[in-house]
Amino acid sequence: MLKRPSSRRRSDPAEVQLNLVPMLDALVTMISFLMYTMAFLSLTMIESPLPMVSSAENQEQLKTQPLQLTLTINEKDILLWSPFDLIPQTSIPNKDDQSPDLLKLHETLIGIKQKFPTENKLILVPKSSTSYDLIVGVIDAAKNLDKTDPVIVVKNEKTGVEEQAKYIFGEVVFGNLLGGDE
Amino acid sequence: MARTSIRNRRGRRKIHKDFELQLTSMMDILVIILVFLLKSYSTSTNSFSSVPGIKLPISKSQEMTPDSLHLIVTPDAITFETQRVIEFVQTADALNTDAPTYAFKPEDIDEGGMRISRLYDALNAAREKAELLRAKSTARDANGNPLPFDGILSIQADKRVKYDTLRKVMYTAGAAQFRIFHLLAMKQDQ
Repeated sequence: MLKRPSSRRRSDPAEVQLNLVPMLDALVTMISFLMYTMAFLSLTMIESPLPMVSSAENQEQLKTQPLQLTLTINEKDILLWSPFDLIPQTSIPNKDDQSPDLLKLHETLIGIKQKFPTENKLILVPKSSTSYDLIVGVIDAAKNLDKTDPVIVVKNEKTGVEEQAKYIFGEVVFGNLLGGDE
Repeated sequence: MARTSIRNRRGRRKIHKDFELQLTSMMDILVIILVFLLKSYSTSTNSFSSVPGIKLPISKSQEMTPDSLHLIVTPDAITFETQRVIEFVQTADALNTDAPTYAFKPEDIDEGGMRISRLYDALNAAREKAELLRAKSTARDANGNPLPFDGILSIQADKRVKYDTLRKVMYTAGAAQFRIFHLLAMKQDQ
């Protein structure tokens, strides 16, 4: 003989109503909190140290002759050169619309980095009339690696382990900051 | 006319009696807003403000901006820590053009046209205040001395500002013992 079903199961499910008001309160509170603490202006930064010149450092550089890659922003082109002539002087002319060819600059700098993987410093020499927008664009092209760029392997001097470079030239210094223009 | 109006009011009363607010659709909307906010949520440890009309350049850099002293350079003024320290003057040769150019007032510049005197005073005062706070703080280095002044200055410049102005700003900051510059830009979406 079958047992009689429970009377609870026979109760009409349509009568049960979920109380959404507390959940609504919680959602409104969370949205208010998120909107209040949210940073709508998403800022990033490019670090650049003040160039420090000392005679001892100059003497050391004359002995070791580092690459000291220098990037000069001219009105019609961008010039890449080394004071010790470790690389041939390279001119990257502006595009047809007179805007600087930052893509070609990026590719050229990757080529130089592959030849000098331990070099991390770039000396930037803009003109007085160069806009901040262009300076940021040039630093971006000279510093940051894109996902599509070839992998550059650098030997870590502290650990001796070979690892992937995070930047092309990570340290960007303004060369004509303390005097001397164009 | 009046009879119709009373009938209408009675009808409305009837609807009110059985009416229940449908919260489900509102819940749906709020959940969608919440998901959107959580997806695009980004916080920052700094409290950098901005000024109206400033146009920042866009950078691919992904570095976070630590809190530091903050300088804003717009085409017509320099603001340091919310105080407008320098106001440029419009140059005579660009008065009739659509894009006016600005220059420093002669009395604001010294040291052969490189140092901005009022900005130097403001930066110097800020450095002295920071050093005083560090001297009073209980935080000490390994030798028991107060922590040295970090010398970091965040520069938020309009993208139209010329390097000539920026160089004077950085030169002045260097003279006031600021050694590291953080050039701020808008983060490019990846």
